[in-house]
Amino acid sequence: MLGMAGCAGSSVKLENPSIPEPLIAQLPLKVGARYPEVFDSFVHEEQVIGKEKWSIDLGRANRILFTQLFGSMFTEFSVIEGDADVRDLGLDALIEPSIDAFEFSVPSQSQTDDFAVWIRYRIKILDADGVQVANWPIAAYGKSQTTTFGGDAALQRAAVLAMRDAAALIILQMDKATGISKLGDAKNANVEPQPDMPPADPDQMNLLTTAAKESHDE
Amino acid sequence: MSDFRHSIARRVIVVAITATLLGACVTSRVENIREGNTGILEGEGIVIMAKSYHLGNETEAKFISCVGDSIGRGRTGLRVVPYTEFVDALFPWFEPRTAPAETKGLPTLMSRPGVAEMIKEKGVRYVVWLDGDTDKVAGGGSLSCAAGPGGGGCFGFAWWQNDANYEASVWDLDGLEDAGTVSADVSGTSFLPAIVVPIPLIARTQTKACNALADQLKLFIVSEEIA
Repeated sequence: MLGMAGCAGSSVKLENPSIPEPLIAQLPLKVGARYPEVFDSFVHEEQVIGKEKWSIDLGRANRILFTQLFGSMFTEFSVIEGDADVRDLGLDALIEPSIDAFEFSVPSQSQTDDFAVWIRYRIKILDADGVQVANWPIAAYGKSQTTTFGGDAALQRAAVLAMRDAAALIILQMDKATGISKLGDAKNANVEPQPDMPPADPDQMNLLTTAAKESHDE
Repeated sequence: MSDFRHSIARRVIVVAITATLLGACVTSRVENIREGNTGILEGEGIVIMAKSYHLGNETEAKFISCVGDSIGRGRTGLRVVPYTEFVDALFPWFEPRTAPAETKGLPTLMSRPGVAEMIKEKGVRYVVWLDGDTDKVAGGGSLSCAAGPGGGGCFGFAWWQNDANYEASVWDLDGLEDAGTVSADVSGTSFLPAIVVPIPLIARTQTKACNALADQLKLFIVSEEIA
């Protein structure tokens, strides 16, 4: 459903986008995802200085996107509602995605025919014991031309492309960036804690992040 | 009064004829560079896509549609798989971020689970990557229009020049290699004279580039000429 508010700007609503079924081998893991409240209704507005005001309502698009995505990536997947304790869920891993930032640009700002959308997600992963083992920021981008789809449809299309970009990035790099596939092995291994070993300090555990990888590469 | 109207009519006709003669100012140059064998069998098809905007490409979506329509048209038309259908079927391997930038990436791509089978199912033999765009490179003149209770009109003369530069890289998914490149460089000048009534004489630069590129691509792909 697209809304047009004449010369005062425009309001675009994203109707339940879907990503295609990915051509990948699933990871043999039992995974849950817990979503923040903002994934149920996300609205972003931007006022172009001296000109029009634009808004985009993603609605439940983020929830739908990640549910489809993780359902395709893992052999067992479920959405966890509420504040259930991870240790009671019998999962290999719990994923907590969130939105760090959302921006878009319109032709009157960029002096081009393009609408562009940037979304920065953050993927946190907890192991079976509820310990955070990864905190992975990802930046996604989508662009669409106004001459083809018209203003509202172009912004909508750019948002969908940005979400597809995020999905593609997660599929390609999630295991490499977070090591999530090892969590299934770690949970299944019967490791008895040694009496003379100090208990693991969550604050000292290696947090696998893209930023950490980048500094190592430098 | 009648002489005045005749005078105006004569001027309009002279301007129209002059502008018509000048309005056919479109120059084009089409080239191809062959690097491998081509040829296409019954049932095989092609998919036409723009190089990724992540690489800075700005090819217009309507140009891609135009090339696809032109190649698929007529008795000798090739089977063109819609690029959205191809990209969705091979998700996430042909997204703007993930699509292979060079043919060196094709062996790895084809080794991914399900990719080779899906490409075979879609019957795609060649991927054509389009790069380039149409830009306004020059212009001038001025035009002013006015309207009042007694009527209105425009007076003046404006012109502009568009350059359409496009390049199509053809990848052979059978041999996993670069088959070659076809390029089209079209330049056209449009005129807008106005004596009371504007007479637009638009050089269809982008359309000419589309048709020229499509015709040459069809010849390039169908021909089994040895590189």
